[in-house]
Amino acid sequence: MLRFENVSKIYPTSRGAVKSLDALDLEVKAGEFIAIRGPSGCGKTTLLLAAGGMLRPTSGRVTVDGQDLYALSSRERAQFRACRIGFVFQMFHLVPYLNAVENVLLAANPATKNTDRDRAAKLLAQLGLEPRVHHKPADLSTGERQRTAIARALLNEPKLILADEPTGNLDPENAAEVFRHLQEFHRAGGTVLVVTHGTTADAFADRVVEMRAGAVQNGGFGKRSS
Amino acid sequence: MATLRLVFRELLHRKLNFLLSTLAVVTAVALFVSYFTTAGAARRETTRVTRDIGFNLRIIPASTDMDQFWAVGFSDQTMPEDTIHRFAKYDKVFLTYNHLVASLQQKFEIAGKEVILTGLAPTITAPDQRKQPMGYAIKPGTVQVGYQVAERLALKKGGSLELGGKKFAVEQTLAESGTDDDIRVFGLLSDVQGVLNMKGRINEIKAIDCLCLTADQDPLKILRAELAKALPEAKVIQLRAIADARAKQRQTAEKYFAFVTPLLLVVCAAWICVLAVLNVRERKMEIGVLRALGYGSGKIAALFLAKAVVLGVIGAAVGYAVGSALALQFGPEIFKVTAQAIKAEPVLLLWALVAAPAFAALASFIPAMLAVTQDPAVTLREE
Repeated sequence: MLRFENVSKIYPTSRGAVKSLDALDLEVKAGEFIAIRGPSGCGKTTLLLAAGGMLRPTSGRVTVDGQDLYALSSRERAQFRACRIGFVFQMFHLVPYLNAVENVLLAANPATKNTDRDRAAKLLAQLGLEPRVHHKPADLSTGERQRTAIARALLNEPKLILADEPTGNLDPENAAEVFRHLQEFHRAGGTVLVVTHGTTADAFADRVVEMRAGAVQNGGFGKRSS
Repeated sequence: MATLRLVFRELLHRKLNFLLSTLAVVTAVALFVSYFTTAGAARRETTRVTRDIGFNLRIIPASTDMDQFWAVGFSDQTMPEDTIHRFAKYDKVFLTYNHLVASLQQKFEIAGKEVILTGLAPTITAPDQRKQPMGYAIKPGTVQVGYQVAERLALKKGGSLELGGKKFAVEQTLAESGTDDDIRVFGLLSDVQGVLNMKGRINEIKAIDCLCLTADQDPLKILRAELAKALPEAKVIQLRAIADARAKQRQTAEKYFAFVTPLLLVVCAAWICVLAVLNVRERKMEIGVLRALGYGSGKIAALFLAKAVVLGVIGAAVGYAVGSALALQFGPEIFKVTAQAIKAEPVLLLWALVAAPAFAALASFIPAMLAVTQDPAVTLREE
């Protein structure tokens, strides 16, 4: 489903060029749950943003279902993201002036059906947030905020969820719950790519890929390693 | 989610930014509204007073002996009646002159005493003039008799008066004016020319200045320059009376306004711009997330420009109220001469509702572009 072919990303800085991805090759199959693990600064977030069509690589190709993401115009990529990809961030990034259900509805795509308020409320209820739908992020716990962010990512029924350290700010109990929800999405046929520096995801992922200095260190291991 | 819904939610969330931004628009609108309210009053009042004192420009033959003119009250020289028509046809004459009336005035003896027999032609106005011509409307074969003459001769409306062997119906006896109008007999120009045996001659063109000169212009200088081009055989005298004081007041206000306006507009625009830039910076992460959710550049720009428009509309309404209140409260104190004419101008609200959102959107354009061009990947990597 998602393929990185010899992808490099170099950031020009005042102290010289910094190579964040270094000729990276990776394939994520449809329906896979993959955890990318590595230390801070190894290029995990860069990989995730490139996978979401938000960061053009310096070289190489990123394809989703055979479509070269960066051959699309920025408008087409935006549309692609809206319809096919869900993002979950470490800091949740909920809009502070909207309540939970409105935050979920931010992802609503006018071109897609079933993105109405009822579906948003239903998703929140499935994630255990029924009593909190009208609460603003400031009134939610960190775990609740992340579950709201997951509901937002799920609203458009994406094929792929890209999660950047989704449990980095959560206690172990909430972290496990977040992974359980991602696992439910995965069991329903969705593809999940999680980047993390911890090991919590290992128990839920089909494959764990180690990253070092912008490159994949192994083909992946895990309970259903390929 | 609808753009406007997001805008309103954000406005209510970031109240300080909203209040400060609105204050900038309110300040700009209030200045304009208060100025135009008082300026409108000044213009109306000047026009009214000028009308009250009558025609304030007198165009007379250039060869007139001014000592004789001021001693007698009119020129002893004449010019062809056609002069007024040539003047009226002169290009742009109605930019500086208005309401032209040809007249012929001569001393005339009635029942052993002198009166001033005055013939007046119908008023000539600019071709596109919508207002009714001002001045006297005298029917042929009729006269209007000044107060002193009417008293002496015991004339009443409906009576008759013989002038040069011809009988004229007294259409009106005029109220006491305290001027030499009290010893005048007014008739239609052609009738008076017949009585005086001066067919086709006039000795004065009365006019009113257009009151449209700018702050740095000397009205008389311009009026004379225009006349010199159009009618070299004539000269113009301006009655510098109370209307002059009003014109001066208006010109002074225009001067200040011309200085303060650009300054204030720049300050308000910069104020809005800085607040919008701060708002963009504060919402960097939000913009990044919206990008990740598939929001395009148009929608991101619309969020900031729609916010500016909303601020503009609110600022226009509040600014109109504040500006009108300021004009009504402090205008009479500052502009004493036109105090009574100051009143709220509802049409300014419509102007404000159009101009203020456009102004706010313009001031927010650069911040909106900053938001659009912001790289979401950079923001999201920074977390």
